[in-house]
Amino acid sequence: QEIRVSGVVTSRSDAQRIPGAVIRVKGSARGTQADADGKYTISANATDSLQISYIGFQTAVISINNSHVINIALENTDSKLQEVVVTALGISREKKSIGYAVQELKSKDIAEARETNLVNALSGKIAGVQVTNSQGNLGSSRIVIRGETSIAGNNQPLFILDGIPVDNSQLGIGTGRDFANAISDVNPDDIASISVLKGPNAAALYGSRASSGVILIKTKTGKDTKGGLGVTVNSNATFERVLILPDFQNVYGQGAGGQFSYKDGKGGGLNDGTDESWGPKMDGRLIPQFFSNGEAVPFVPHPNNVKDFYVTGYTLNNGLAVGGSTDKIDYRFSYNNTKQAGILPNTGITRNTFTASNTFRIAPKLTLSTYANYIRTSADNLPGVDGRRGNSVTLQFIWFGRQVDVSRLKDYKNPDGTDYNWNHSYYSNPYWIQNENTVGQLRNRFFGNARLSYEINNWLTANLRIGTDYYQDRRKYKVAYYTNGTPFGSYTEDAYTVGETNGEFTLNAKKKLGSDFDLDVLAGGNIRTNQFEQNYQQAPKLAVKDVYTLNNSRDPLISTSYFSKQKVYSTFGSAQLGYRNYAFVNVTARNDWSSTLPVENNAYFYPSVNGSLVLSEALHLQSKVLTLLKIRGGWAQVGKDTDPYQLINTYPFNQPFGPNPLLTVSDKFLKKDLRPEITTSTEAGVEAAFLNNRIRLDLTYYHSNSRNQILLADVSPTTGYLKKLMNAGEISNKGVEAMLGLTPVSTRSGFRWDLNINYARNVSEVVELDKEGFLNNYVLGSTGNMQVLASKGKRYGALYGTGFQRDAQNRIIVNADGTPAIDPNKKILGYYTPNWTGGIYNTFSFKGFSLGFLIDTKQGGSIYSGTNYTGNYTGVLATTLPGRDEEHGGLPYYRSGQQNIQLPSHTAAAPNGAEVHHDGIIFDGYTADGKKNTVVLGAEDYYKAVYNSSLNESSVYDASFIKLREIKLGYTLPKSLTSRWKLQAVNIALVARNLGYLQKHVPNIDPETAFNTGNGQGLETLQIPTTRSIGINLNVSF
Amino acid sequence: CRKELERINKNPNEPTTVQPDYLLSNGIKANVDTYWGPDAAMDGSLLYIQYWAKIQYTDADRYIAGATGTQNVWSNFYAQGIEDFTTLAQLGDSLHNPNYKAAAVIMRSWIFQQLTDLYGDIPYKQAGKIEQYLTPVYDSQKDVYTGLLAELKDAAATITTTGNAINGDILLGGNMNTWKQFANGLRLRIALRIADRDFNTAKAVFDEVAAGGNVLLPQGVDVKLIYQASPNQNPVGRNRETRNDYRISKTIVDKLKALNDPRLPIYATVPKDTNVIIGVTNGLPSDSAARLGFSKTSDAGAVFTATMAPAVLFSYAEQLFILAEAAQRGLTNGNAADLYNQAVTASFAQYGLSSTTAAAYLQQPGVAYDATNFKKSIGEQKWLALFGEGLEAFAEWRRLDYPQLKAAYTGALNGSMPLRFKYPSSEQALNGINYKAAVARQGADLLTTKLWFDMY
Repeated sequence: QEIRVSGVVTSRSDAQRIPGAVIRVKGSARGTQADADGKYTISANATDSLQISYIGFQTAVISINNSHVINIALENTDSKLQEVVVTALGISREKKSIGYAVQELKSKDIAEARETNLVNALSGKIAGVQVTNSQGNLGSSRIVIRGETSIAGNNQPLFILDGIPVDNSQLGIGTGRDFANAISDVNPDDIASISVLKGPNAAALYGSRASSGVILIKTKTGKDTKGGLGVTVNSNATFERVLILPDFQNVYGQGAGGQFSYKDGKGGGLNDGTDESWGPKMDGRLIPQFFSNGEAVPFVPHPNNVKDFYVTGYTLNNGLAVGGSTDKIDYRFSYNNTKQAGILPNTGITRNTFTASNTFRIAPKLTLSTYANYIRTSADNLPGVDGRRGNSVTLQFIWFGRQVDVSRLKDYKNPDGTDYNWNHSYYSNPYWIQNENTVGQLRNRFFGNARLSYEINNWLTANLRIGTDYYQDRRKYKVAYYTNGTPFGSYTEDAYTVGETNGEFTLNAKKKLGSDFDLDVLAGGNIRTNQFEQNYQQAPKLAVKDVYTLNNSRDPLISTSYFSKQKVYSTFGSAQLGYRNYAFVNVTARNDWSSTLPVENNAYFYPSVNGSLVLSEALHLQSKVLTLLKIRGGWAQVGKDTDPYQLINTYPFNQPFGPNPLLTVSDKFLKKDLRPEITTSTEAGVEAAFLNNRIRLDLTYYHSNSRNQILLADVSPTTGYLKKLMNAGEISNKGVEAMLGLTPVSTRSGFRWDLNINYARNVSEVVELDKEGFLNNYVLGSTGNMQVLASKGKRYGALYGTGFQRDAQNRIIVNADGTPAIDPNKKILGYYTPNWTGGIYNTFSFKGFSLGFLIDTKQGGSIYSGTNYTGNYTGVLATTLPGRDEEHGGLPYYRSGQQNIQLPSHTAAAPNGAEVHHDGIIFDGYTADGKKNTVVLGAEDYYKAVYNSSLNESSVYDASFIKLREIKLGYTLPKSLTSRWKLQAVNIALVARNLGYLQKHVPNIDPETAFNTGNGQGLETLQIPTTRSIGINLNVSF
Repeated sequence: CRKELERINKNPNEPTTVQPDYLLSNGIKANVDTYWGPDAAMDGSLLYIQYWAKIQYTDADRYIAGATGTQNVWSNFYAQGIEDFTTLAQLGDSLHNPNYKAAAVIMRSWIFQQLTDLYGDIPYKQAGKIEQYLTPVYDSQKDVYTGLLAELKDAAATITTTGNAINGDILLGGNMNTWKQFANGLRLRIALRIADRDFNTAKAVFDEVAAGGNVLLPQGVDVKLIYQASPNQNPVGRNRETRNDYRISKTIVDKLKALNDPRLPIYATVPKDTNVIIGVTNGLPSDSAARLGFSKTSDAGAVFTATMAPAVLFSYAEQLFILAEAAQRGLTNGNAADLYNQAVTASFAQYGLSSTTAAAYLQQPGVAYDATNFKKSIGEQKWLALFGEGLEAFAEWRRLDYPQLKAAYTGALNGSMPLRFKYPSSEQALNGINYKAAVARQGADLLTTKLWFDMY
C-alpha cells in the first residue's frame, strides 16, 4: 500500500536543515531531494525503508512503518565510515568502495588556513604530498605527490576544478622574478572540498597528465548554503614578517685586507668598490663613508641594517557570497578581493575574483549546471631574485658592507637623476631597485564550464560538459636609466595567452543486478585543445629616460614570438561492480590520440583495475573494538604524451647581423619516432578503525614505474647539440604512506581531542636513461659547477659537484699554500629528495572553540646553499668571525714575501719589524704526503678558499627540518546568540603560520624554499627570506 | 582525424629547412663572438698571455677559471660552430655549390684548431654526428691537426673563383680567392704549430702550398670580422659599455716602453687621472688591484674597445711571421730576417704606422732579428703583433716559449702558468668514459698540463 511520507532533514550536530539531502526508497529507483528548507515529500510503500544521504553526513536508513511524517537528523561523517569522496571525472563514491588511497580536505581546512597560494594549504596535512614554499610571501610553490615519476617532465599533479582541468603552469621561469604558479588564482572561499588522488591508480581516467596524481577541487554551489538569506561574508587580515634572516657578523665592516675608505664607491677610494666585509673593525674609528662627503666619520655597525629593509607584508582578503536553492535552481555568486603586500618594499599583488555557479533543473530529467570564474590578478611590482644586479636586493645584502646604514639609502636619487648608494661598482641602491626597476604583471583569466545532464531513464544518465580555462598574462619589466650595469635602462613586454578547452560526453548507467550486485558503468569521450602563445619584445636601451614604451629605443627591438597548439582525442570507460555493499571491483580503460606524437604512435591505450573488500562487513567482524577493516589494491597504467613540436628539427632565428638574417641549427636534436611514456603503478592498502572510530588507520604501499620517458637530455656538446630528445628513461618509485587518526578524548560535555598523524616514505631509483646505456646522468638543474642530476642507478635528484680532495684515510688534502685541494672529479654530495615526510595535526574542540596545530617535517635530503657560501666568502656572516682576530681565536703570524710565518704568541715581535697579524687560521687537513697541515692563512684567505663557487662540498647541508607550520584558534558563536541577531553563523579564527623551526640543520636560510616549480630543486641561491604570518579571519553568514 | 593531428603538430615558429647564406652568416658571427668574447679571450687567453690584466674580480687573472666560461667556449664552438658548418658543408653538396662547402670546411677547421690549441685532445672525427655518436671519442691532438691539414687542403682545392657565388659571407664578402688564401694561411699556421713534433709533415704542407702557387693573403689583407652598431657590436666593445674590469697588462706595457714601440699609444689608452700609460700587474688580489685606482690605470686602446672594432682571425702580419720562422727552420727557402722585417712592418701597417717608422724601430738592438735566437726575436715580436688575438698568441707563446713571462702575482698554480684550458665539467657527466681515456692519454685535466704540440 502506497502512502505519502514527508518530513524535514536536519543536521544532528547543529540542528540546521539540510537542503538538497537525497531521499530514496530503499531497493527502488524512486527518489527525491529535500527543498531549500530541508523539507521533502515522497511516495512509498508503508513497509519500505527510506535511505537519506547527503555529502558530509552519514547515510541513514529508516523503515517507514506506516508513518506519514518522518523527521530525520543526520550524523556528520566524522566517523569517516560512510564517507563519500569525489573521484575521477567528478564521480562521488563511497570511500569504502574504492581500491586506492584518496585523501580529502574540507572547505573549512582550506578557507581558515588562508594560504594565498592554494598549494601551501595542502602542506603537512596529506600523506605523501610534498610542498615547497615560495620565497618571501609572494610567488610560486611546488607540489609533488609520491615523489617524482617523470625524470624530466612536469612532476606536479593535474588540477581539476569541477571536472575541468585548470592550468597550473609557472610561466617566465628564469626571468629573475618569481611569478606565482597559476593555480594560486583560485579563491579558497569558493572551494567546497579538495580530493587528492595520489598516483595513477586513482587517476587513470584522466589519462596523460595524471601520472603525477590529481588534485580535484570541488567548488561550492547554492546547495552548500544552508538557510537564511544565503549571504556569507568573509574577511581576513594576515600580517607577515621575515621568518629567517642570515645571522650576520657586526664586528668588521666593508673593505678588503682590513682597509676601507670611501671616495666614489667604485674603486676611487680605499677598497670602496669592494662589496665584501673584510675591512676595518667597526669600533668607531673615523673613516670617510658614502654619506659623509669625504669627511672621516665613525665606522660603526648597524646590526639590523638588512632586517630593517624588509617591511611587514600583509594580505587583506574580503569576500562576499550569496547562495540559495529552490526547486528549480541552485545559485551562488561570490566576489573576493585579495590585496597582498610583500615583505620587500613596493611589492604586492591584487586579485579580484568573480564567481557564478548555477544549477537549473530545466525539466524533470534535464539539469544544466554552469560555473564561471573571472579572475584579474595585477601586480605593480614583484620581488626580484636570482642575483641579477638590476633586480635583486638579496644579492647586495650578502655582498655587503656590514657598516652600511640602509635607512640612509631611502632617498635613493641624486639631484642629477643617478642613484645614491654605498657602492657603485656592482649595485644600484636597493630602494632604487625596488622603486624604479619594477616588474608588473596583469593576468586576466576566465575558467568555467557548462554541464547538461539528462536522465534517460531511471538507470541511465547522459552528460555533456564543456569547459575552458583561458588567460592572458602580461608582464612589463622596467629597468631605469643609470641602473648599475645598464646605463640606458631597458624596457620589456612579455605577454602570454594560454588556453585549454575540453568537451566531454559521458553515459552513466547504474543498475542493481539481482539483490546482491550493483553495477555502475560509465563510458565517454573527450576532446581537448591547448593553445599557447608568447610574445616578447624588448627595447634593450632606452632613448629617453623614464619613458617606458617599446618605441623608446636606441637599438633595434629584440622580439620573439612563439605559438603552439595541441589536441588530444580520448575515449574512456569505467565500471564498478559492487557485491552486497562490501566487495567492489573497479575497472577503467582509456585510449588517447595525441597530436604531439608521430602518426604511427599517436594512439595509446591504458587500463586500470582495483578492488576493495570491507572485511569487517563481509566476515561480520564488527565489534565494539573493531569498527572497520578494509583491504584494497589496484593496478594501473597511464600513458603520457609530450609537448608540441618535438619530432622534426628546426632552424631557429638569431638577431640579424645588419642586413643579414641569421638562422642556426637548433641546439636540440629531436626524435621522429617518439612513443608515449607509460607509468605503471600498483598499490595495496588497509583501512581500519577501532573503538567506535576513535582509532583510524590507513596504510598504503605503492610501486610505480615509468618507462619510455621522454627526456630532453643534455648531451656532450661535441655531438653538435646540447640536448637530445630521448624516449627511454625509466624511473621507479616505491613507497609507503600511513595515516593514523586518534581521538584520545571525547567527553559528553563536548570536549574532543583529535590527532592525525601522517607519514610517507618514497624511494626513487633512476633505472635507465637511454637504451644504449651511453647516458649516465640527466641534468635537472644547475648553478655554477653544481648540478642536480637524475643519475643512473641512483636516487632521483643527486647534487653533483666539486668536493674536497681526500686521501686514503678520507682526510682532506691541503695544497702547499695551505688551502684545501679540490678533487678534479666531481661527486655526488647529496640528494635533494627527502627520506621521509610527515605531519602531526592536533585539534582540540570544545563547544564553539577549536584549537589546532600542525607540525610537519621532512627528514633527509640535502640543499646546496648559495647564501651560505657567498656570505662566508664575503665575510658578512657571523660564521666568519672565528679566527678573525685574537679575541675570536686567530693565530699570530707575519708575512715574509708571499709566505705567512706563524709566531709563538700574539705579543711576539716579527723579525725586521714586520707587521704582526692576528687573524691566522690553519685549515684542518693533511698534506699530500700525509703530514698535518701547518700553513697559516689570513682569515679572509681562509674563508675564501673554503667557501667559494669552485668548491661545492663545503656548502651542502642537511635539509631536514621540523616546522611548527600552523596554529589555528577558532570560535563559532553559539546559535542562541547568532539567531538573536538574525544571523546564521559567525566564525572567528586566529591563524598563525610558519611559526618557527623545532629542528633545522642548515644555517642562515629556510631549507624548504624554492624559487621555481621545476625539477632542479635543492639549489638555494640568495633566497628572499620566507615569512611567518599571523592573521584573523571572520566569517559571517546571514 | 590522425591527419588533422599531424597537421596541428607542424611547428609554425621556425623553418624546417635552411638557406646556406643565413647559416653562413650565423656561423661566422656566432663563432667569432666566442673567439673574441669573454670566455675564451677576455677572462682566458688575453690574461694568460699578459695582454690584459684585471682590476676587478681578479680570480680569472689568478688562474681560477670560472666553470661557466670553460663550458661556454666548448659548447658554443661545438654546438654552434661545428654543427652549423657541418650542416652548411652538407648543403654545399646537396645544392651543388662547392664554394659553400669549402667556406664551411675552412671555418670548421679554424674552430677545431682553436679547440685543440686550447684543450688538447678533443672529439674530432666523431664530433657533430649525433645520429652515430652520442658520446664522441677524443682524438689525439696530432690526429686533429693532421686531419685538419687534409681537410683544408681539400677545401682549398675545390674552391672555384668563377661561378658558384656564395651569399651571406660577412667575413670575406664572398671573395673565394680570399677564402683560398685564408685556407692556405691556416694550413701554414698548423704546419708550423706541429713543426717541433713532426717536421716532415710540416715540411710537406709548406711544399704543397708552394707548389700550388703560394696562394696566400696579399699585402694589407687581413681576415677579420668587422662588427656593427649595437646589438651587433664587438664583444669587447659590448663589455666596455657596462663593465670596468680590465686593464692593459703591465707586462706588455713595460715591453712596449722598453722598445720605444710606437704601437704603445695605440694598444693602450692614457688614464683619466694621469698622463702616462700605466699597465696593471697580472693576478693581483682584488683589493690591491682596486687600490691602484680605476682612473689611474690604462685600458686597452680604442682600436680594440670600440663598438665596431674588428675581430682578427688571421692577419697578413701573422702570415709573414709564419713564413719567417719557416724559412729559419728550413721548412722553406726564404730569407728569415727579411721576412721578419716585413712581418714587423706589416704589423705597423695594420695600425696605420708607416714603413719608415717600422724601419727605424727595426734598427734597435732589442728588435733586430737574431737568427741565433730566432725563438726570442719571433716570439717577442709576434706576441706584440698579435695583441688582442689572445688565442693565437697563447698558442704561439707555448710553442716558442717567448716572450718569457712570469706567472701572475698571486696565481693559483703554485708559480706555474696555464698551458691549456680544463675540459668543461659537463664532459665528466655526459661523456665520462671518453673523457677519462683522453685524460689518461694526455695527462691530468689541469691548466698546467702540457699539450702535444707544446714540446719545449
